Amino acid sequence: MSEATEKSTAAHAAAPAPKTAAPGQMTRGDFLWAGWSMLAAFFAASAAAGARYLFPNVTYEPSQIFNAGPVSGYDLGVSTKWLNEHRVWIVRTETGLYALWARCTHLGCTPNWFPDQNRFKCPCHGSNYTLAGDVIAGPAPIPLWRAKITVASTGDLIVDKGVLADQPPKRDQPPFFLPLASA
Amino acid sequence: MPIPDIETLKKEVIDSPVWRAVFRGGVWADTPRDRQAHISGNVWLHLHPAKVRPRALKWTYTWGLGGLAFALFLLLALSGVSLMFYYRPVPGLAFRDIKDLEYAVTLGKLLRNMHRWAAQAMVVAVIAHMVRVFLTGAYKRPREFNWGIGVLLLTLTLFLSFTGYLLPWDQLAIWAVTVGTNMAGATPFLGNAGPFGGLMGMHINNDVRFTMLGGTVVGGSALLRFYVLHCIAVPLLVGILLILHFWRVRKDSFSAAPYSANEPKVDVWPNLVKREYLAAVGLVIFIMVWALLQNAPLEIMANPNVTMNPAKAPWYFVGLQEMLVYFDPWIAGVLLPGMIAAGLIMVPYLDTNPKGVGYYAWGERPFANTMFLLGVTMWFTLITIGEFFRGPSYAWYWPWESWYGFKPAPPPTWSVFGPHGAAVLPIALGVAVLGALFTGGIFLPKLIQRELPGKKLLLGFLALVALVGLGGMAAHKLTGLQVGFLLFFCGMVFQFGFIMPQRHIRRLDWARYLVTMTLVVCMMGVWLKMCARLCFNIKYVLTVPAVSMNI
Repeated sequence: MSEATEKSTAAHAAAPAPKTAAPGQMTRGDFLWAGWSMLAAFFAASAAAGARYLFPNVTYEPSQIFNAGPVSGYDLGVSTKWLNEHRVWIVRTETGLYALWARCTHLGCTPNWFPDQNRFKCPCHGSNYTLAGDVIAGPAPIPLWRAKITVASTGDLIVDKGVLADQPPKRDQPPFFLPLASA
Repeated sequence: MPIPDIETLKKEVIDSPVWRAVFRGGVWADTPRDRQAHISGNVWLHLHPAKVRPRALKWTYTWGLGGLAFALFLLLALSGVSLMFYYRPVPGLAFRDIKDLEYAVTLGKLLRNMHRWAAQAMVVAVIAHMVRVFLTGAYKRPREFNWGIGVLLLTLTLFLSFTGYLLPWDQLAIWAVTVGTNMAGATPFLGNAGPFGGLMGMHINNDVRFTMLGGTVVGGSALLRFYVLHCIAVPLLVGILLILHFWRVRKDSFSAAPYSANEPKVDVWPNLVKREYLAAVGLVIFIMVWALLQNAPLEIMANPNVTMNPAKAPWYFVGLQEMLVYFDPWIAGVLLPGMIAAGLIMVPYLDTNPKGVGYYAWGERPFANTMFLLGVTMWFTLITIGEFFRGPSYAWYWPWESWYGFKPAPPPTWSVFGPHGAAVLPIALGVAVLGALFTGGIFLPKLIQRELPGKKLLLGFLALVALVGLGGMAAHKLTGLQVGFLLFFCGMVFQFGFIMPQRHIRRLDWARYLVTMTLVVCMMGVWLKMCARLCFNIKYVLTVPAVSMNI
């Protein structure tokens, strides 16, 4: 066995030096480089395709639009009527009405409305919001989102959570705010 | 027929052709050589060396923690596969299947309890194993790489827990995963809510969060994805890393140092194997008794629109939850955990102290041990705060305070440096002040060549803080509690962030020194930000909304 090993090493040592290719001709080394590079490119492309596979083209998620009933049905203050079903508060103020998406802008929990303190308070990391949706305490970075609202021909309020605004003056104008006469 | 002698019978069985065909080796004579051949010839045992140092056998050296963690992994695989026979990962069915497991399936409740408690025990065992390995210097050459594998295994253990608790589809499940995946959505560049996410074209339906959930909300696709990750993908990855981990333990040899020079080694069979099996049996009994005495928690069915109050993560993530109170999600949820993991992996390459390998060496490695234990203590302090000092609406409640009494709303927060309208002082000043503090904190300890008198300096510094505090109290700007907290936090930071590095690592080469000090200064920054928020209601020390830079 050891003799055979010695022989093969000797054979390697005696092998002639690789020939240099003529100009325009591919050497064995070039060919291998090209081959391995193509294989690597194929694996990279497969990995990218595999990653793409994880992004679904179709999702089956509930509609972001719902009918919140007649506009006239809201008294001054915060209505939690649609919270459990659509995660929205309808807020009626002296000057009008807006729909707050009940999703904390910090990490997405649903805050609770505390009428006695006039605040929305999030149970996950303690963010506090005013009635208008502005952050007054806790880690939330931006105000609560207001959803687009329109009034249907029937007088019903249509809320669309797919269209949002969080900063004044945009959030205080239609379609994010519905001006109404004093309640 | 006479009853055969048990020893004769045993010998007959062992020497029978069938036994000898199943187990490799010749005729069994029960000599030390046979035992060693058994270790190397058995697929299950062959990862063991034939002989080990006596210290490796001592409970008080390893505490058996790595073995216990592995035993828990096996127990979890077994109980988990059993649960899979009755569980369907679909929103309408998952919760009902868990209820069925609890009330309609024989032994279902026990298996679910065991699975839950073994998971919690595994988190404890893996963390404790890491602490043990650190304190015995077992990550040093040639075991640096295996320490890194261990850190990955720790994060994967936590990820297994995270993916696991979505499966019951109860309120904890859906809200913990909502928060967790929204953190991923705050990743810089890759998340729709992260810094520069918009720049990269990230939206709610094409970012990293969307990939995790398979949708834009935690729904059916998310449940299925987490199920596959929890039951197949992650355990497979953990298994591969475990093989690598064990193989390296074997190849690098156990870390335990010899008690004396030329100390003879001890046979692994039966000395070590016996102890391992005993520990595993004790562990199974412990988990079973625990599972018989206490039921795994299950809240009401998941409601994607309403969160329970307060909403708290499982205890091992409460520290992260608490950190999210003080920092923006991309910092608390992505940057800091990333720095912790990367910092841990880098430890063996930063620590050039050759002493203290293979035994508990408090005096020989004061800086490494202190900084590591400080980090671990800090993590568990955050967990304690989140677990026992937080009540409804995640407000601060002292442990003796009732959750049902009147609680005034938390005071409004304010920011120190930032744009006009959002903060008191201008951005430029903030960048200058914070930059000076940060670079000063990093460079100063090394630039002072002579060792400073630590105790005197600390006392002087505390006296200075106390003086400022008393002045503030006299001017009715500060309360006694605020001054107390200020003394505690500033004292901690001064001692561990300045005095200790100045004494111990000022002679380290610049590259290692800078990396170490960056980690140390960031750890101190977390303390300081906690102090700023808890005592002074400071939301951001510096806010630059234009680039989502809030600290």
